[in-house]
Amino acid sequence: MKDELEKYIKLCIKNDREGQLKIYQLFSPVLYGICLKYMKNEDDAKDVFQEAFVIAFQKISQYKFEGSFEGWLKRIFINKLIETLNKKKKESFFLDVFDPDTDFIEEEELEAIPIEQEKLLEYIRDLPDQYRTVFNLYVFEKMKHREIAELLKISEGTSKSNLNRAKHILQKRILSIKNFKIA
Amino acid sequence: MKKQKIEDIFSSMEDFSSVPPPELWSQIEEKLDKPKKKKRVVLWWSAAACLLLGLLLPSILHFTNSSENINLNNGNLENNTNSVVIDKEKNEIHNNKDLNKNKNTGKTIDSLHENAAKNQFNTDSQIQSQETSVAETSSKNKTSKKDSKSKIAVPANAPNQSVAYQNSGSEEKAIVKSSKKSSAVVSANVPNQSVAYQNSGSEEKSIVKSSKKSILGNNVKSSNKGISEERIAFGKQSKFNSNAKKQLSNSIFEEQIAAKNNKNLAFNNQRYSTNNSSFANGNTYNSNNAVSGKNDTKRTDKAVIIKDDLKITNSLSKTESMQLAELQNLEKGILAPEKEKEEKEKKDNLINKKERWAVAVFAGVASSENTKNEKTLGNVNDSKQSNSYGVKTKYSINKKWAVGSGLKISELGQSVANVSYLSAKSNAFFNPGTLNADSNNSPVVSADPTSQGYLFISNSTKEALKNENVQTGKLDQNLRYVEMPLEVSYSVFNKNKASINLNTGGFVGKLISNNVALDGHSIGENMNANDYVYGSTLSSTVQYRVYKKTNVFVEPAVNYYINPLNSQSFNQFQWGLNFGLNVNF
Repeated sequence: MKDELEKYIKLCIKNDREGQLKIYQLFSPVLYGICLKYMKNEDDAKDVFQEAFVIAFQKISQYKFEGSFEGWLKRIFINKLIETLNKKKKESFFLDVFDPDTDFIEEEELEAIPIEQEKLLEYIRDLPDQYRTVFNLYVFEKMKHREIAELLKISEGTSKSNLNRAKHILQKRILSIKNFKIA
Repeated sequence: MKKQKIEDIFSSMEDFSSVPPPELWSQIEEKLDKPKKKKRVVLWWSAAACLLLGLLLPSILHFTNSSENINLNNGNLENNTNSVVIDKEKNEIHNNKDLNKNKNTGKTIDSLHENAAKNQFNTDSQIQSQETSVAETSSKNKTSKKDSKSKIAVPANAPNQSVAYQNSGSEEKAIVKSSKKSSAVVSANVPNQSVAYQNSGSEEKSIVKSSKKSILGNNVKSSNKGISEERIAFGKQSKFNSNAKKQLSNSIFEEQIAAKNNKNLAFNNQRYSTNNSSFANGNTYNSNNAVSGKNDTKRTDKAVIIKDDLKITNSLSKTESMQLAELQNLEKGILAPEKEKEEKEKKDNLINKKERWAVAVFAGVASSENTKNEKTLGNVNDSKQSNSYGVKTKYSINKKWAVGSGLKISELGQSVANVSYLSAKSNAFFNPGTLNADSNNSPVVSADPTSQGYLFISNSTKEALKNENVQTGKLDQNLRYVEMPLEVSYSVFNKNKASINLNTGGFVGKLISNNVALDGHSIGENMNANDYVYGSTLSSTVQYRVYKKTNVFVEPAVNYYINPLNSQSFNQFQWGLNFGLNVNF
């Protein structure tokens, strides 16, 4: 498998369409999933997905065959997603105001109830852009607040409060389902 | 009950994956086929080449021209004995006139030098005039070459345009066809939905059979992976095909026919998932995954199947509503917004391809300004208003950049008030050798045969002279050129009917009229004027589309003339305001 992957990467470096197709087939579901998690609507996710794949194929010669290729691809996609979200942030003049009600809330442990992936995705995508980005980076990419702060050009404190607020919103949503089910 | 943190609840989303819509690959392929960076590089290089050409051409002409001017000046010093500017070494005007008469007798009359004042030039000056004519013809040749090139460029481009138009036209047709097909598929699907509902309580065997059939239909070898995986495989199979949509719709159609015969639920589920992937991309991962995931259990437990069937009907109701909405849109003839966007883009491209060329006629006012506060004979050069007009053509490289050229008649001038002079007629016997004229700043005027000879003197000389015959007047000098600019244009604003472009470049001008007037009376030409000038230009075009392809525009501009005169101060800066009409084609 590894050898085959290397073969396809080498074909991609030569701008071979067959190789590019193979790489696309192998990684597109995971990468499209990431795009869906980061972008609010599917059209935006599709746009970033396309652009990031084009960038990945254009920069594939920079991959040194060290470390995970999937990780390398994911990094390109996350960078592109954050770039797109930053542009949007500038357009929408997102104002981050300190909110003591949500910023100091203690995380509550919830009863384990099975929730479908689609529902969870819906909850994530309903979050405001910056909360969603911080939540994704912290929970799924396992990044530290310092790293998130550097990447998003925000303070560590903002990163922490954004994560708290994201969790708070998600908690409310999950509780509402639970209550609905009980009712 | 077990308690979980938010992170734990969402941990299942860490490896979340979803099959992208099949059309995305073709779009990526398209983008890979058009490397943007290269295009940009080509664009910048072409812009740089235009600017370089615009600056090089005039400078080459300037240097060749300046060498000719030196010869002409020498000729003037040596032979232009009839000049009204008095030189110490020159003979008196009376003697010169006698000599000229003698010289003229031995000369062949040149048709170009019929002017009595110009007959004084000896063979050297004739040679020089030939040289200048050669220079003119060479420059004409150059321009004619350019013309021929541009003429070639037009027909060469024309077929491309037509080809592009045809291609895009066929694409449009293809879209219309595909949309028709897809609408046909959807409408064909409607009765099958009802079939699906009717058969929601069908037995396990039929489900297994139908799933097998669907697997066979999709060319997937393994039947153990479940319907969700089958769907992914289906997606993969179709999305990497250039005719994915057609195949997909065909396969849907085939399946629908089969569904009518078999009347089973699982098959319909399969069909729903495929339909969703083609029409309702927005929610493929939502309900269908849930449905397919649950379908796996149907093979083992009948009770579970019944439960699942109920759930399926719930989820189907969602997909059904989406499909119905889609169907309604299609029935109304409303295409999906993406398709509309694509069509719009294509139309825009068509317009752009069609309207790459533009021809404009314009006329306006111009004012030559003295920006350096330069003086002539001790008096400040004043600005002078004139008019300009011409034609120009523009070729759009892309939406933002364009290159342009054309022909323009423009006049550069200056006015000097209170200029002191001596009239040769009224002072026939004065000794010019005693006068110290400011030769550096005085205009060297070749006398018009109809006018008298004049000697311009500086203010300081005037005071020293204290001659009662010294008169003052207003000296106007006009140099008219036919100019050929070479410009690069950048579109800074383009919305609806209005557009604003910034233009910059260089120009080369050929002197076509040279006039010096004293108090409104023409007294001859300025001998210091260069036959060719070059300069740079900066302008902004504010354009508004008034009818189909016709635009009106206003164009404020600033021009800088580098070398209008050889050894005399002259207004070199000119601002102008042109109004014009522009037709795109």
